[in-house]
Amino acid sequence: MMRPVRAYYPILPVLIGYGILFGIGQMVPGKWQLISQLAFFCALGQAFNLFMGMTGYVDFGYVAFLGVGTYGMAVSIYYLFDKGLGLTMIVIGMILAAVFSTLLSLAVGAVALRLRGAYFAIATIGVNEGFRFLIEGARIWNGSDGMIFSRHMKTAFGRETAMALSMKWADVIVFGVAFLAAVMTLLYMRNKVGYALTALREDEDAAKVMGINVTRYKLIAFITSAILAGLLGASAWALKLTYVYPTDVFAIHYTVEAIIIVLLGGAGTLLGPIVGGLIYGVSKYYLAIVLPGFQLMIFAPIIIMIIVLFPEGTVGILKKRVFGTPLEKFII
Amino acid sequence: MSLLRVENVTKRFGGLVAVDDMSFEIRHGELMAIVGPNGAGKTTMFNLINGVFPADEGRIIFEDVDVTRYPAYKRAHLGIGRTFQIPRPFASATVRENIAIGGMFGAAGSEISVDRAMELADHYIDIIGLKEHRDKPAGGLTPVEKKLVEIARALAMKPRLLLMDEAMAGMNPKDIDEMVAFIREIRDTEGIAIVSMVEHIMRAVAGLAERVIVMHQGALLVDEPTQEALSDPRVIEVYLGQPPEEAHA
Repeated sequence: MMRPVRAYYPILPVLIGYGILFGIGQMVPGKWQLISQLAFFCALGQAFNLFMGMTGYVDFGYVAFLGVGTYGMAVSIYYLFDKGLGLTMIVIGMILAAVFSTLLSLAVGAVALRLRGAYFAIATIGVNEGFRFLIEGARIWNGSDGMIFSRHMKTAFGRETAMALSMKWADVIVFGVAFLAAVMTLLYMRNKVGYALTALREDEDAAKVMGINVTRYKLIAFITSAILAGLLGASAWALKLTYVYPTDVFAIHYTVEAIIIVLLGGAGTLLGPIVGGLIYGVSKYYLAIVLPGFQLMIFAPIIIMIIVLFPEGTVGILKKRVFGTPLEKFII
Repeated sequence: MSLLRVENVTKRFGGLVAVDDMSFEIRHGELMAIVGPNGAGKTTMFNLINGVFPADEGRIIFEDVDVTRYPAYKRAHLGIGRTFQIPRPFASATVRENIAIGGMFGAAGSEISVDRAMELADHYIDIIGLKEHRDKPAGGLTPVEKKLVEIARALAMKPRLLLMDEAMAGMNPKDIDEMVAFIREIRDTEGIAIVSMVEHIMRAVAGLAERVIVMHQGALLVDEPTQEALSDPRVIEVYLGQPPEEAHA
């Protein structure tokens, strides 16, 4: 199973990238909110890339995994706050987030992963909306009233700790999820899973004939990607904001953002989501200051240009540039 | 004992009977060709053997295992390899990775590590003579090189039966002769049965096969040693129409 250590060198630029980002956030006053937003976009891209980039399948309902993950953390804090569990609640919340997103990915995957390409995309497009209607209509977990648990957090952890959890530690966990997603991506790339995914992305029928159980490998990538999304929802949304509304967490524009980030950076690359996340996050932030309200109008043509002119994304182009040089080992 | 037994296999697409009650055998280490004009059902027969889709009727037995209902990847694990008429390399992967993927997931798959598969790939890269392209993406190769990569990829699967779909289509006579020699050579070194599909390059059949199966309109027309099959009047009729004297009679 394990490959030689040098096969895992590309994790170094990832570590350095997130390290610098984290360092800036800690050291430069007043920038933590921007940095944590950037970390969220990087993590979102990294988690989404693990499935979309590696299999070539576009899951338009992807945000649903973040949504159920958010509910996983919310449910843990909302219902367990007076049980005296302390910080174990956060762990339970993360586990619930992972369990919820796994279950949802199994349910969606069992049906949708039988479909190819565009049909898969269409089949998944309603998953997030469907889940929102289910929670609102069946009034699960307070339905459309959502769950507000800032009070619960203060009661359980005390004012100081509750503040630190949502102002700082939630973002630290987001960094952790981003890095975990990168590690998983590299592990997959360097082992049979990654080769199977490359094969099925390029030519699914040929992959089958080569002895690859394509459904199994697609499902592995799908579940891994979903769990990471669930953890991201639990930290970046539930723990950070201390409330959850179904209309917020099942909004399709987060899926679109994930697609943009992956394409900007380079689908199927390890560093792509970081580069894409940074480019997208920074330009969104400053466009909102310079031309508030016009971000999407500006982004749309940029995205189209990128897809037409640079389909491999930033890192895809960089990879070609460093081919044959010593840097080749680090940039994938 | 036969390597593969096809027993009364039929496949229909709607009203069209693409393969009609076909029965034949392939022996261990045999060089065989499935021949027939366009639309005879050769490709469908190949797809039935390696499991791209299941047969409607009949059975397919590979090394005493009834694989009729097995999906393609399981048949690959048992040792059925396949190349396509238009080569389908994994374009973004390097030549080496392409071939290694065959080793990783083919008949030897579960025991082979990624590193071992890479070594295996290097071995086959030497055989096909594409050493200088080893780390290039397979998508950028010439058609003939892609064909070679595809054959190497199938060989890395360590199959006992290799189905080669029109390996010679679109090649010039010199390339055809080289390919025929290459196919004979890999049969000898790998000790596997190779079934080639040939539509009209009869020049190649004699060198490629010890035995020929001719298909016509989905059904088996002849199953004979190569020389007899090529001079069989029924085969000539399928390809050229009736001889003039009979047409007048």
